[in-house]
Amino acid sequence: MSLTDDDVLAAGPGPGPSRTGPAPDGEPLLEVQDLRVRFSRAGRHVHAVNGLSYRLEPGRMLAIIGESGSGKSVSSRALMGLLPSTAAVTGSARFAGTELVGMPEAQMRRRRGADIAMVFQDPARSLNPTMRIGTQVVEAVRAHSDMDRHAARRRAVELLSLVRLPVPEQRFAEYPHQLSGGMRQRVMIAIALAGEPRLLIADEATTALDVTTQAQIMELLVELQHRLGMAVIMISHDLGLAASYAQDVLVMYAGRGVEHASAETLFAHVRMPYTRALLGAIPLLERESHALLPVVPGQPPDLSALPVGCPFAPRCEFADEECGENPPFAEQEPGHRWACWHPVPDAVADPAPRGDRS
Amino acid sequence: MTASVGAGRHRAGAGFLTSPGMRLVGKRLLLAVPIVLGVSILTFWVLNLIPGSAAQQLLGPEATPEQVRALELELGLDRPAVLRYLDWLGGAVTGDLGQSLVSRQPVTDLLGERLAVSGELAALAFLISLGLAVPTALLAAYRPNRLFDRLSMVVSITGLSVANYVLALLLVLIFAVQMAVFPAIGFVPLSQGPGANLQSMALPAVAIAFPLYCFYTRFLRGDLVDQLQGEDYVTTARAKGIGPWQVLVRHAFRNSAFGLITVVGLNLGTLIGGTVIVEQIFALPGMGQLMLQAINTRDFVVVQACVVVFAVAAVLANLLADLLYAVLDPRIRYGSR
Amino acid sequence: MAVVDAGPALVEHAETPTARTRGRVGSLGLVLPAAVVALIALACFVGPLVLPVPPPIGGSVLESYLPAFSPGHLLGTDPNGNDILSRILSGGRSSLIVAVAVNLLGLLVGGTLGALSGFVGGVADTVIMRVLDVLIAFPSLVLTLAVAQSLGPSQTNTILALAFFSIPAFARISRAATLRLRELPFMASAVLCGTPGWRILLRHVAPNIAPQLITFGMLGMGIVIVIEGALSFLGLGIPPPAPSWGNMISQGQQSISATPMLVVWPSAVLFVTVLAFNLLGENLRARWSGR
Repeated sequence: MSLTDDDVLAAGPGPGPSRTGPAPDGEPLLEVQDLRVRFSRAGRHVHAVNGLSYRLEPGRMLAIIGESGSGKSVSSRALMGLLPSTAAVTGSARFAGTELVGMPEAQMRRRRGADIAMVFQDPARSLNPTMRIGTQVVEAVRAHSDMDRHAARRRAVELLSLVRLPVPEQRFAEYPHQLSGGMRQRVMIAIALAGEPRLLIADEATTALDVTTQAQIMELLVELQHRLGMAVIMISHDLGLAASYAQDVLVMYAGRGVEHASAETLFAHVRMPYTRALLGAIPLLERESHALLPVVPGQPPDLSALPVGCPFAPRCEFADEECGENPPFAEQEPGHRWACWHPVPDAVADPAPRGDRS
Repeated sequence: MTASVGAGRHRAGAGFLTSPGMRLVGKRLLLAVPIVLGVSILTFWVLNLIPGSAAQQLLGPEATPEQVRALELELGLDRPAVLRYLDWLGGAVTGDLGQSLVSRQPVTDLLGERLAVSGELAALAFLISLGLAVPTALLAAYRPNRLFDRLSMVVSITGLSVANYVLALLLVLIFAVQMAVFPAIGFVPLSQGPGANLQSMALPAVAIAFPLYCFYTRFLRGDLVDQLQGEDYVTTARAKGIGPWQVLVRHAFRNSAFGLITVVGLNLGTLIGGTVIVEQIFALPGMGQLMLQAINTRDFVVVQACVVVFAVAAVLANLLADLLYAVLDPRIRYGSR
Repeated sequence: MAVVDAGPALVEHAETPTARTRGRVGSLGLVLPAAVVALIALACFVGPLVLPVPPPIGGSVLESYLPAFSPGHLLGTDPNGNDILSRILSGGRSSLIVAVAVNLLGLLVGGTLGALSGFVGGVADTVIMRVLDVLIAFPSLVLTLAVAQSLGPSQTNTILALAFFSIPAFARISRAATLRLRELPFMASAVLCGTPGWRILLRHVAPNIAPQLITFGMLGMGIVIVIEGALSFLGLGIPPPAPSWGNMISQGQQSISATPMLVVWPSAVLFVTVLAFNLLGENLRARWSGR
């Protein structure tokens, strides 16, 4: 099965039936290969991303899921060259054939917003509190075009209506603190869309919002994805959210991918014990008949001193001596990659709670 | 309540007087009154501690106790301090600051021109320090920890450690004695041409400005770097793909400016204090010189007036900073939801 | 500090970079200025006892204006034939005594006032802070001049006047630190355990706000040395012929074109001393807030 642009457009807003298994064979929009990010401070090294690899086809929505500190946010900021100077990025990330890692800042700057745009977690802090909403959108419009002031203004109002900001002409002259959280996030999305990017990264874009607003913003993103034919990477710690909206899911742990498949495949056939633990609500083997709240037990590993072998092993109930060696992150079933020596068989991994937000 | 809710809707200007910003300024203005009162009481009390009486001082050591007593009566010094203070206060609020004990001139006449000299000096120093500090800080923050940044930090900590009288003499030594491009002392009033006037003011203004310049640079650079490294809106701006200078000037500086305004307002008191000693060194006929003369002749009516004028200037500067802040910061101007 | 959490915490910083500290200060940044301060103090207090320097006053006019490196006068002599080095050391002694006394007084009185104000809160806090506002909203040099003159120029009066105006700054810092401290759980637990207030202040508050007060005290040393110099410069500090850096500079000003070194020597020592204290204060602050 393959997914064409027509399918995506036909699917309409919301999680459509067009979710398919393996990705198509076409040219990927983004190909990340063995991406590594290391932070150095005061002689200490923190390995935030440790050999991340994935592909993203044009027009699809990929959810990157993980706990905080799993490297999901750092890896996506690395794509845009937005990491502080203490970060060393190696490996490869090719966007439409162009290598992003090691790209000179001046060149990277021209691509920011135009190729890849980003929406951040906290809309209250992500907008400049001292600038009018309109000015901030216009600035984004003019960053990548030579529109004059009036044209840019018209375009900015258009963008604000596109993201369904009520009465955009009036909002234009207001300041961020005069808007609600949801409206601010709509403005952030309008700013991100200003350069007509082919990839939009939503970095925990709905985490700071209440559940109702969260759903509205996610539906807006899906709608825009389809209308504009953008690819979207949504970064979240919320598997349920990913299940509801994304077509592909990549689960990260300790700075690397541990499971990657289409949302359908992943939730029907969880393989990686960590993903299963995230899905939770599964009794930990038969003997534990009264498991409490679904919490992943244990602590994420210390990224400044990663253990040899599978990083999840210390928290994994299936771990044995084999896990002292790092499992490869390989395509072990068609369209389904995971990194584990002891994948969970289908029988155990049954009723996974599907997201029910739509 | 209605004002802050409604404020979100209307444009700048409409209902400005009832806006939260103006109410803040009103509150500060009310606070400033007791501060100025407190300062005047404090000065009055302190000046009353003077061991030898003013009359004794005025008449010289040979005066007989009778002569001293007579002069005290004449000057009203025999009355209780509280009454004298209330008298003074009554005059002060109507613009009458009393009569000099020495020259018998009205104090307000003495203050007039001198206030202009000190005001010009302070304004020049302020313009020089802020005018240079902003570009220096921007350049330093553009590439933190690089050569220019480190150099400017060395200059700042050095400048903050130089006493202004030392700096003043150093400037005299270099520019007046060695190079002879500026006069070492003396004042040329503005009426004799702005060129000559500025020339006579240049060294004193720089002597006051330099430590301030260092202070402002240090503060602004630190705040800019904090904004650039710590604030999410900076990341948003960078993610738009706009240039680094635009991120720095349009975004980070815009926000840092508010902190700078507050610091500058609080710091103007220091600026005014700095004029006293520099005026003395360069023999400028300003407020500082007047006050020092009055201190030496125990003309405490003039001292009192000078101290209160300095205090009012400091408080007003502070108030002005608050006002500016309220006008510029939309969060205060429109109130927050 | 949670040492265990440091790993992920560092990454969190990277993900959402918060206000970063200015980096760690090498120990050289502390040791060097501390050594300079120690050296100056040693020279001023012990130097005249062990080095062959002539007395700072009572020189002969026959020996006036000797240049530097004259026999017996390393830095030369002033218009009255007094040894400049000896006067610098003697003046430094009084500068340092004044600076230490002022900051100690300011720290004790202001620190206590601020801690009490922040700890007790309520009306007392409001009243204390309003009174301090009066003092702080003020060009303090101006009032110090008036006070110093009113009390008559002497070392004790200079100390009292300067200490008076250093109280508000210390009080503000102490109050802010106490307010921050009050939010911490261990303070609540101390209160809940029924520990008497004075004991909490002494046992819990004082040791925790001390670093900030001492740091400010280092900066305060520099400030006081400068202001004391200004007072002496204006003839309102230590009365001549007793030497002080300020009155040496003032005296040198009269003949600045002929013998600039009379101004340069005391100015240089003043600058180095203040710089050392400023660096010490800045680097202490960076170190204490940097982790």
